[in-house]
Amino acid sequence: MAFFEQHIHSEPKTFLSKYIFSYDHKVIGKQFLWYGILFLGIGGIMALMIRWTLAFPGQAFPIIGNFLFPETGGVVPPDTYAMLFTMHGTIMIFYAITPILIGAFGNFLIPLQIGARDMVFPLLNMLSFWLAFVSGVILLASLFTPLGAAAGGWTSYPTLSTLIGSPGAGQTLWTLALFILGISSTMGAVNYITTIIVLRAPGMGYFDMPLSVWGLGLTAILNAIFLPVLGAGLLLLIFDRVFGTTFFLAGAAATSGTGDPILFQHVFWIFGHPEVYILILPAWGIVSDLLSFFARKPAFGAKATALAMTSITILSTVVYGHHMYTTQMSPLLTQSFMTLTMTISIPSAIFFANWLGTIWKGSIKFPTPMIFSLGVVFVFGLGGLTGLYLATVTTDLYLHDTYFVVGHFHYTMAASVLLGGYAAVYFWMPKMFGKMLNETLGHIHFWLTFLGLNGVFMGMMIVGYAGMHRRIYNPFVYEFLERLIPMNTFVTYSALLMGVAQFFFVINFVYTIFFKKEKASDNPWEVGTLEWTIPSPAPVYNFKEIPVVKCGPHEFGNPNLTGDRDFQYQTEELV
Amino acid sequence: MNKALEANQIQGKQAVHAVGMTVLLVSFAMLFATLLLGYIVFRLTTDTWPPQGLARIPLTLPTISTLIIGVSSVFFMNFEKAFMTNQLGKMRAFFGLTMGLGLGFMLVQLELWNSMKEMGLWVSGGAYPSLFYSLTWIHAAHIVMALVSLLFLVPRLFEGYDMDRITWVQNVGKFWHFLGLVWFVMYIVMFVY
Ligand code: HEM
Ligand SMILES: [Cu+2]
Repeated sequence: MAFFEQHIHSEPKTFLSKYIFSYDHKVIGKQFLWYGILFLGIGGIMALMIRWTLAFPGQAFPIIGNFLFPETGGVVPPDTYAMLFTMHGTIMIFYAITPILIGAFGNFLIPLQIGARDMVFPLLNMLSFWLAFVSGVILLASLFTPLGAAAGGWTSYPTLSTLIGSPGAGQTLWTLALFILGISSTMGAVNYITTIIVLRAPGMGYFDMPLSVWGLGLTAILNAIFLPVLGAGLLLLIFDRVFGTTFFLAGAAATSGTGDPILFQHVFWIFGHPEVYILILPAWGIVSDLLSFFARKPAFGAKATALAMTSITILSTVVYGHHMYTTQMSPLLTQSFMTLTMTISIPSAIFFANWLGTIWKGSIKFPTPMIFSLGVVFVFGLGGLTGLYLATVTTDLYLHDTYFVVGHFHYTMAASVLLGGYAAVYFWMPKMFGKMLNETLGHIHFWLTFLGLNGVFMGMMIVGYAGMHRRIYNPFVYEFLERLIPMNTFVTYSALLMGVAQFFFVINFVYTIFFKKEKASDNPWEVGTLEWTIPSPAPVYNFKEIPVVKCGPHEFGNPNLTGDRDFQYQTEELV
Repeated sequence: MNKALEANQIQGKQAVHAVGMTVLLVSFAMLFATLLLGYIVFRLTTDTWPPQGLARIPLTLPTISTLIIGVSSVFFMNFEKAFMTNQLGKMRAFFGLTMGLGLGFMLVQLELWNSMKEMGLWVSGGAYPSLFYSLTWIHAAHIVMALVSLLFLVPRLFEGYDMDRITWVQNVGKFWHFLGLVWFVMYIVMFVY
């Protein structure tokens, strides 16, 4: 595998080269982590404002409401409501979850787990972060434009997103920000894929890579292929808004000639469906590894898990039509998309069964990363199953655009990916920062989050099933929805609980990084993947000697182990 | 480092860049594929093409562009050969020719846009002109990027061959040829067909 010799970099000296414009994949990973956590906070507050409005319509948002909306005495105004759910969705998906899972852990884990000293293209890596930074600034700036931020939903369908639907600069900046972020992620993807192909340590075949790297690698492939598709759609949307082209304007909205608003939906979802797998694949990989690490058992059917993830990746490219059943598609098409979507259940069931197989009869330990992983198993199961109702044309015609959809996608991407991200933070904290997070606070964080999360997302599915539509400022002006006020209040209280739970994390995280004295050991979890063979925190050059890999990542309780431990480092040979 | 080892290193580096460039070009290809898909959808769902009252864009200028960009690719290949054999004179000549044709391509594109305006095809005149302007704009923007990346090779014209820079020359070349290929597909799909 040694395509070229990887040099040992000297330690950067200045503050700028060490923390700001660093070429080191570990530092860039941490930058993405802070970036993601910051946006998670912003997106979270926005979620609470949405929820507040739905539970207590017409009442001032507590504490910061008067400061944010002085003209209405603290009440969220209707147009602001639309901006809030748009920006919440956009921020959570592209600026919180993506940076944390892909930006932070992609960067941090790939070189460490395959035994490399850095990414192959460190400069590209740094540019990728700073482009993401620029994009984040543009997005936040859009909040302060005269007509406010984008308000067409995170899907920004025309004509909501054209000049007819949103004349302000906010939507233009939103589009630009996403385009730039797309470039940044594509750069990252090129780096990840190339690194995985060329820098694996000698002896490491693809199936010797931890499943985390599998997940991250597949995600990178999807990113490289499908982000440009979104990019094309966004460019045309910008042209429509700025240069007066008419791709997405039709009928009376177009002054001459005629475009096609539905075309944007096609382009968006050709990208958008792979995008949801882009978000979940890293989490799947990480959880697959962690379940095995803490059940002290080899990952059940690891090869099958990897192949199942690969086939899901491939299938995910041909199912996007299930988001568009209500666009008057021909029944032939809707039926085909339905069938293809259902096909995904097969590989999903395989690797889900493998998860259960992994923990079955294991001697399970329950530190924080493990309970978060088990949480993912639970919420992803729920999220995945509810997807079947949405993939079925007949039921989707009723459920489309209701809160059932909102509940479903929060279970799959918000809940699963968020918990997976937390599991990763708790697990790799010692390797990233050289210290362990507090276990008690971690457990409190998990249980409160988990309770709150199920209250929120289960509640959303119930009100959705009862017919409540999403993206409505005050649904209760409709008589048939009035009885849903108590349920919505419950959902909002659950959301507040979930919000409060995050303080336990923030306190734990900040305290550990900046104030905690006690150092973590090199391998506190006693696992055998390559990153645990080096000191904590990982030194600049990662590996003094490039490791030679001799066994798989999950060798637990194997009768052929050579040491007296119950695990084996990947650099050690089995007998 | 001894010679053999060094040669090995260079080969490894070239392989690495080949992988990276392949992924990158797949990304770019998806961008253009999506745009062309949009074009094809509009084209197939419109009863008459070009839509009523609008004229076809004459083939002359796009054909000249196609020829120019094709020849420039050949010049770049010659530049690359000259670089590998370290012939400064040839390098300068072929670099100049590539650059010149690149700029020429941009001039013809400007002329194309002018001629479209003269035909009464305005950007805001509906989907048909929207498509022609936007797709050519986006392609031209990439050509500008490629021209800028060519500038990064200017030091080679004075310092000549350098092992560490082989990958640069190759990568810029791949991008250049790629854009030529994209233009050719656009030419066939949008202008000829
Ligand atoms: C703190 C927990 C969260 C709560 C309480 C929450 C709540 C909400 C609410 C109330 C909506 C508005 C639904 C509507 O009216 O259509 C919404 C939309 C959305 N949320 Fe969340 N959310 C949370 C976390 C997340 C996370 C982590 C993600 C990221 C993966 C996410 C992604 C989205 C998306 C994509 C939308 C759709 C936005 C749109 O309609 O355009 N949410 N969320
Ligand atoms: Cu989908």
